[in-house]
Formats: sequence, structure tokens, C-alpha cells
Amino acid sequence: MLRFLYRGLLVLHPPLFRKRFAEEMQAIFDQIGSRSGRIRLVTDGVLSLLRQWSLRTEFWQEPAPVAGEASPKGIPSFLTLDPFRPRAAAVVQGITLSTLVFCLTCFSIRYSWIHVLHVRIPEVEFESPASHERAVPRPEPGPIRSRAAAPRQDSFSGSSRPSQTPPTKASVLAPAEGTEAGAERDLRPGPPGQEDKRRAWSPTRNVASRVAAVPGSGLSEIQLALSGAENLPVPRTRSVQSLIPIQKISDDEKHHVIELAAADLAKYYAEPDVARKMGAALEVHEKHGDDDAATEGADFADLVTRQMQDVSHDKQLILVYGAALAPDSPHPPSAAEIAAYRHKMERTNCGFEIVRVLPQNVGYLKFNSFPDAKICGQRAAAAMAQLNDVNAIIFDLRENPGGYSNMVALLATYLFDRPTHLNDFYNRSENTNEEDWTLAPVPGNHLADKPAFVLTSHLTFSAAEAFSYDLKMLKRATLVGETTSGRGHMAMGHRIDELFMIRIPGIKVVNPVSKTNWEGIGVRPDVEVLAADALTVAEKMAETAAPGK
Amino acid sequence: MKSDASHSLPLAPAALHVLLSLAAEDLHGYAIMQDVARQSEGKYKLQPGTLYDNLQKLIRRGWVEELGHKPGDDDPRRRYYRLSALGRGVLEAEIARLAAVVREARLRLQVGKPGRA
Repeated sequence: MLRFLYRGLLVLHPPLFRKRFAEEMQAIFDQIGSRSGRIRLVTDGVLSLLRQWSLRTEFWQEPAPVAGEASPKGIPSFLTLDPFRPRAAAVVQGITLSTLVFCLTCFSIRYSWIHVLHVRIPEVEFESPASHERAVPRPEPGPIRSRAAAPRQDSFSGSSRPSQTPPTKASVLAPAEGTEAGAERDLRPGPPGQEDKRRAWSPTRNVASRVAAVPGSGLSEIQLALSGAENLPVPRTRSVQSLIPIQKISDDEKHHVIELAAADLAKYYAEPDVARKMGAALEVHEKHGDDDAATEGADFADLVTRQMQDVSHDKQLILVYGAALAPDSPHPPSAAEIAAYRHKMERTNCGFEIVRVLPQNVGYLKFNSFPDAKICGQRAAAAMAQLNDVNAIIFDLRENPGGYSNMVALLATYLFDRPTHLNDFYNRSENTNEEDWTLAPVPGNHLADKPAFVLTSHLTFSAAEAFSYDLKMLKRATLVGETTSGRGHMAMGHRIDELFMIRIPGIKVVNPVSKTNWEGIGVRPDVEVLAADALTVAEKMAETAAPGK
Repeated sequence: MKSDASHSLPLAPAALHVLLSLAAEDLHGYAIMQDVARQSEGKYKLQPGTLYDNLQKLIRRGWVEELGHKPGDDDPRRRYYRLSALGRGVLEAEIARLAAVVREARLRLQVGKPGRA
């Protein structure tokens, strides 16, 4: 039996080795009488077999004779045609290695397709849409600090932001509706912009600007520091900390701030009942002496913010200290500012980071803002055109902090075959209600009946949440990922005095299906998974859900 | 392949023992195995797989020649092997290298020994 086995092993050796040595090895085997010795030889035979096939490929063939060393006459000849022929073993190895590398490359490409690696490069932007609130130093962690760490566009009121931005050369402002016959529906966030013209930045309350307290050229420097660290929330607050004067405030001033804050709440806050409750709560806290502990402006602002949020749970409602760093005279953006915004959008491809067709013909669109459709409409259309023939589409909003509602409507348009009512915007102070609809169907669009998926995370903000919420309510998309941040109101800043400003959500979104919005609670996904896994999960679902599968 | 022996040194133990076995006389595979065991006083035993793997390499390098069957041998399957002149040169170079190593080692061990009182 062992002999038979050993013979088999020898037969399995490479032909040249077998031809040369198999007989002799068999003879040695026959000469060994003991069973243990023969078992050792069988083991050795197995090892030899492995060795010869894996490590001795150069011996699989006879060496080629060395050709052309010298001509018959003894004169060295120079062969122009190289007689070299690769050994079969080398060819086999080469094929194996090439196949392996090819497979690895394919796998890497597919992996990178699905697991996009994001390397954030802090970019110095000259835009600081919410500079006044960022300018508040938050030396200690607390609710205010986390609020200050919120992404740059925390309400989809892009068009309103620019008008709050100081008119420095360095600032790049998004266009407001005022610059372009602003009555268009897709600039719905306009109302805050309109509010600019008449809202509480009145000179009577704006006692004096303390911008002079800022070294150098003042605002633009601060904005640079702030916006440069946009994605690094903690250092951001530190970067301006030294620029804000630490100032103790008197009880009288506290009383003054509370009084005016309560008045502003009553006037502007989107939920009148809640505003009244907050006003009453502030008064009670003051009477009970709860505010006595806060002797410095920043602490006091934190405290009042907490008191307001305890009642409203509205993270956008915030009392800001250091308001002097914010602008005094809001104005519609100039042509130069609009041009700069346009340039920035062109440079960043309007935030459309990835437009790709994944395997199984699943479209994937990752965009990190909802830019103004007036500037970026064509790019958005181009992106959607690229994905027009996919079987299913995935919108990746996991890193999308929001922006303009007109882009929400524009992108949503591709998912419907008729104009569809997305949202209402209720403006408390003006008591107006404006409807937001998708646009007329895009000719040649094939996506209206295709399965859609939206990837969300806790960093999905504002307009991105609106997009998610609307599609969820209309049962037009499946949301995959994490519950979003919960910014369903649009907030505006109102100056209280030279150092304090209150940021009040004055416009609320009302969804026509749910009759409410996601403020404070976030948009809950249909499929709750970690944001990091959302794409993988959604892609699998999309492959299954795609028509024809 | 270069014939300069120094390029091939040091030799692997198996190759060294095989060359050493063939240095005295032509031997067949089994005899080489037994001779190697004898050289090392039973401490190093070559198995056929290792032996013929090494013979294959040594033949390819031209250090060992295959003589084929020798008339008069009991088993016609046996083949004999001979150390070539090149192989002998390599073996001598290796032995010289080892001798130098041994000399150096002895010297150092001598120096390192604790002095006698």
C-alpha cells in the first residue's frame, strides 16, 4: 500500500524530475524495510512533490542550449534575433501573477467605488454666512458650543445668508432674491432675505459696532479664521476667542437683553405658543436669580440659550454674544459678490462630488451642498443627465449641510412625472405661507419611475433634510442611514444690542403630507444603519429593487 | 553561469554533504544518503526528496555529473553520480572558507576563555 502510494507520489512529480530520479527513488524505497522508514519516505515524497511543483519551476524543462556564443569560424557573431524563449514555468507564473494583480485591481476599483474615501482639505473660504454666531467664543463645552459647531448652512436659507454677511471685500456672498427679480418660487428661502430689509437691525438698537476692538482689518480676518476651520468645529471657536472682549455684564444689561430677547421671540419665533412659553421661562429664571451666576457675556448667552432650548428643544434658537462682530448694515449682494459665488461654485463643481454609475447600473450622486439652482442648475442637470439611464438612483446626502431650496426642488423634479407639492414655508412674522413645488417634468427624463434611495447621516442638515423628508413623505425614496440633525426651521439673526444677538427660527417648513416637519427630531431613515454602511446597504437594495431584476 | 566558485558560497548543508560524499568516489543516490549519515555520525540524514532535489541543482550547475547505470550493480535502477572538476573546485573553496571560519572561531573562543590562575 505504502509502496503504491509512494509510486503515485513519484508519478505526480514534474516530468523531467520523474524521468531522471523516480526509478532511483523507488529503488531506495524498496531498500527500506521498516514500516516507519517507509512512512518517512512517503512524507518526504509529499514534501518533494510540493517543492518540485512550487519552488523548482526552473527545472521543469531542460535548459536551452546556449546559442551563438561564437560562429563556426571562431568569429563572435551578433545575433539580432534573440533566441530566448521563456520557460513554461515562467509563463505559468506570469499568468498567475497577472491574473492575481488584475483581480486585485478590479476589486480595489470596485471597493473604492463603493467606499469613497474622503480626505477633507480645510479650505479657506471668504464666505462666512453665519459669522455673527460663530464669532462667539465658547471656551467651555456646553450646548452652545455644540450649537456653534454646527455646519455652515444650518437652514436652507442660502439666499438669506448673504445679506447678513458683512460687506467686506473678502466676503463672497450668495445671491439673494433681491438681485434677480427675486419673486421666483425656487428662491423660497427668500423670505428671510426680505426680512433683512426691515428687520431688527435698527440703528436704535444697534448702539455701536465694536468691530474696532478686532485687531487689523477686523471682520475679514475673523471670517477667514472661522471659515478656514469650518470643518473643525472646536478649533474654530478658539480661533476667534482672543478677538472677543471678555466683558462682565451688569444685572441691568441682563434684564435688558432678556426683555428684548423675549420680545423678539414673541414677534419672530415660528411657533407663537412656544415663544410665549420661552419668554415666560426667561422671566421666571431671572426672578429666581438663576442668571446671577453668569457674570460674563459669553456665559450669560450660554445660559439664556439653554433656558430657551429647555423649553423649545430648538437647537437653532440661540443667544449670541459677540454680536458686534456681525455686520450692521445688511445689503443685497453686489454683482461682484455674485460673480465670486459663481466662481466658487464653478471651482467646486457646485458641490457635486461624485456622479457615477455603480455596478448593476445603479446611479450614484454624492453632493455636499444644495447650491443655488440659478448658478448651478446646469451642472445639476448635467449630473442627472449622466444618470438618466440607470435602473435605480442613490442620492448621498451624508455630508450635505443643506443650502438652497430651489436646488431641492430642481433635483426632486427628476423623480416625478408631474409637478409635485413638496413643502410649505410659513413665515411667522409676515404670516405668509408659500408653497414649494417641483418644476415641470424634464423632457427625456427616465428617472421618474426608478427606485430612489437617499443616504443620510447625523450630519445631514437643513435643505438636505428637506430633500430627504419630502421624498420620504411622498414615498418616492427609501432613506438609508442615520437620523438627520433636525433643522426644520429657518433662522435669522436679530440684534439686541452692540454685543448680543438672538438667532430666531422664524420660518418653518410644513410638509403637506405630514402637516409638520423634522425640527428637533430629525428625519428618521426607513432603513437605519450606520452612515458608513449606508451606501453598501442602499446599493444592495437598489440592485434588488431595480426594474428588470 | 559563472564558474567562479566564490559566487556560490556558502553552500547549503545538503549540497555540501552531497559534494563531500562524491569527493572520494562515484556513488548512487542511496549510497550518498548513507554516506551523509556517516559523515555526520547519524545527526544529519538526507531523505530522497532532498537528495534528488539537490542532485538536480548540482547537475544543472555542472558540479556533479550523472554517470547512469554501472554494470555489475545489483539494482539496475541505480544511477551513479560523480563530482566534476568544477564541483571539486567549489567544494575546495567551501572547505577553505569553513576552515577559515573554524580557525577564526577557535581563536576567538581561546581569547574569550577565562584565564587560568
